[in-house]
Amino acid sequence: MMRRAIPFIVLIGLAGGILWFFPLFSVVPLKRAQEEKAAATFNPQKFAETFWTDKLLPYLDKAVPAETLLPAIQHDPADAKKRFARSLGMSDSYTYFLSGTGRVIAVSDDEISLAITAGSTNAEVSLPMGMLFGNAIRDGTGLLDVNAYPNSQDFNNIANELNHLVETRVLPGLKERATVGATIHFAGCAEVDDESTDLKPLHVVPIQAEVK
Amino acid sequence: MKNYLTKLAFALATALMVFPAFTTRADDAPKTKVAVVISTLNNPWFVVLAETAKARAEELGYDATIFDSQNDTAKEAAHFENLIAGGYKAVLFNPTDANGSVANVLKAKAAGVPVFCIDREINATNAATSQMLSDSYSGCVALGQYFVKTVGTEGEYAELLGIVGDNNTWNRSKGFHSVVDRYPGLKMVAQQSADFDRAKGLEVFEAILQKNPNLKAVFCGNDAMAMGAYQALVAAGKDKQVKVFGFDGADDVVKLIAEGKIAATGMQFPKLMAQKAAEYADEYIKGKRDFQQKIPVKVDLVTPANVGKYGDFGKKQ
Repeated sequence: MMRRAIPFIVLIGLAGGILWFFPLFSVVPLKRAQEEKAAATFNPQKFAETFWTDKLLPYLDKAVPAETLLPAIQHDPADAKKRFARSLGMSDSYTYFLSGTGRVIAVSDDEISLAITAGSTNAEVSLPMGMLFGNAIRDGTGLLDVNAYPNSQDFNNIANELNHLVETRVLPGLKERATVGATIHFAGCAEVDDESTDLKPLHVVPIQAEVK
Repeated sequence: MKNYLTKLAFALATALMVFPAFTTRADDAPKTKVAVVISTLNNPWFVVLAETAKARAEELGYDATIFDSQNDTAKEAAHFENLIAGGYKAVLFNPTDANGSVANVLKAKAAGVPVFCIDREINATNAATSQMLSDSYSGCVALGQYFVKTVGTEGEYAELLGIVGDNNTWNRSKGFHSVVDRYPGLKMVAQQSADFDRAKGLEVFEAILQKNPNLKAVFCGNDAMAMGAYQALVAAGKDKQVKVFGFDGADDVVKLIAEGKIAATGMQFPKLMAQKAAEYADEYIKGKRDFQQKIPVKVDLVTPANVGKYGDFGKKQ
């Protein structure tokens, strides 16, 4: 009787040994599983903050000077677009990445109007002061590539988070200090959707703005 | 001389007899096959997408066939099995499910059949040869801004979502909410899926309307649902009270915007996308390999102010 049982005992022992080293499933604490899932999920807020500090701010010196871009637009908008603009995919819209210094000629709840050219009394650039929407910052510099994001929802969320950073880090200081006659040094991106309204003034979403 | 002329005439007659035979053979030679796999043909917008892709592929000299997945990933998988076995050389593809369709595209890729996604994306950048996608999110950001401008910053509204497994559903919804949610006075009292379907849009919105008599607006994830919602409003006598916002740029909705009956839509340019996808497939078959993986296609906001510029599923030339 005992002899007949030996092969079964060996078999059970072997199976136990295999399952010990190669378990069919493992039990993980719920908290750890949630943490692992969160780590694997794209976090647009964290991404935008790292991008802002590590990539965007150090890249601002690559912006086209406003004193080059604005006369180019005035002279020949199509040629200026060809030389300085970026466009994503198939689109009539495009973005400019520019920096410059301007004199504040008007301040409202929605925008600060700047004259850039010496002696100009017209608003050549406006900095929005209200809620920010759109993809100007995400697409304007060319630092972010849509092809790097398998799910375009991630790419879209980046635009939102970058707008949020402008609203919380850049606009409050501007609102507080910008008065008519002050000088502002800015760097940012402008989205041109309709050339009849978006070029004069150029609506620049500021990534950096310093009031002097 | 006479002998020479007889020989020449004989040679010409022979050539004329032989040459047509070659021409006939060339005409009879089977054309390269291209498949057009579409999520559903139960929506006029997708019919335009499918027929334009087919027509452009045929213009380019291919034998094109349309496969209707009927919004069913299992049917879509069966189409891919059949088209791979059937010797199709390229697929112009409107996916049913951003995640669920990836396996089908990978299967085609493994069989050496390139896939060009149109309008809807798949959640992978290593499967399709290229993806030509409506920039639904940005389109709905613009639509959301126009919604606030026309509806105001206070009041109740409802939302009809598309198919929950499709990225476009969420790109549109999130684009819209990225604007509207910033106005606390605008309260979304109902949000339900109607699967991008007109009949379901009518049915779902009728129920929403009964429960929420004070609605000021409804945002619909596509124009088919917007038409269903508008139909429900007309039946309830509330078409003047509730503003309807759609998305797609379908002809019937564009006409209703011109008549002041629907507030706005987003024009997605299905003909442009379908034609480009067919041209990309042609270029691939002829040897090109370096395609950009994702090509966002801008969506235009269509309102009563600019509706005259749009029609026939695009911008008037």
